[in-house]
Amino acid sequence: MGKKNYEITNNIRTLRFFAGEMTQQQLAEKIGASRQTIIAIEAGKYSPSLDLAFRIADAFERSIGEVFEYKIIKE
Amino acid sequence: MSYPEKKAIVSTLAGIAVLVAYCIYVNGKVKAGEAASDDLKFWAGSMLLFIVIGIAASIVIQIIFHILLSVSITVREQVQTGKSDNKQIERKIAVEMVEDEMNKLVELKSMRIGYIVAGFGLVAALIYARLGFPLAVMMNIMFISFCAGSLLDGISQLYFYRRGVTHG
Repeated sequence: MGKKNYEITNNIRTLRFFAGEMTQQQLAEKIGASRQTIIAIEAGKYSPSLDLAFRIADAFERSIGEVFEYKIIKE
Repeated sequence: MSYPEKKAIVSTLAGIAVLVAYCIYVNGKVKAGEAASDDLKFWAGSMLLFIVIGIAASIVIQIIFHILLSVSITVREQVQTGKSDNKQIERKIAVEMVEDEMNKLVELKSMRIGYIVAGFGLVAALIYARLGFPLAVMMNIMFISFCAGSLLDGISQLYFYRRGVTHG
């Protein structure tokens, strides 16, 4: 298994700010996840499943590409 | 600290307590000359007893933990809002205890670590038996490796919650 040559980043913190300073707890309740999971996703410690990623995007009424970004790391 | 982290700490501490209690119990019996290394009936009986104690302790501790958590959420809510809205408190408790895909992934990964440790213990026990050590040694290695696997399960859960977890 090689080293990961990509990273998945997200704009959840920014989107929460623009959604009237939505709290992590409010977002978690809206998408049916735990606050712990939102914290881990924001910190890049956990990549959500496609299902959860779509639910997060839906909570902000954005497309998935506006919430998550896939970047290839060049060596 | 989140609810699953607290839960992992509580079950790990319960596991440590049962393992320590088992060691003290059998050590006392061996020192008193009440148990010989070839007395398989005693060892099997002691292990079964502590398995039952472990399961019962785990259930009781989880119930007490849930009650204390619910009480602390209720008190915090009443202090913060100054009123006691039962529906709001029930909603807060439900939100605090929600289990989602990340919890399941952490549980799966840590359970795998626990099974690996228990598996190694089983193989080590069989090797000891093959080498001609008393069967009591083999049984103790198996019992302690299963306990260690269970403890490592809880510790790795804490690790994954702190450091993050990835798919694959």
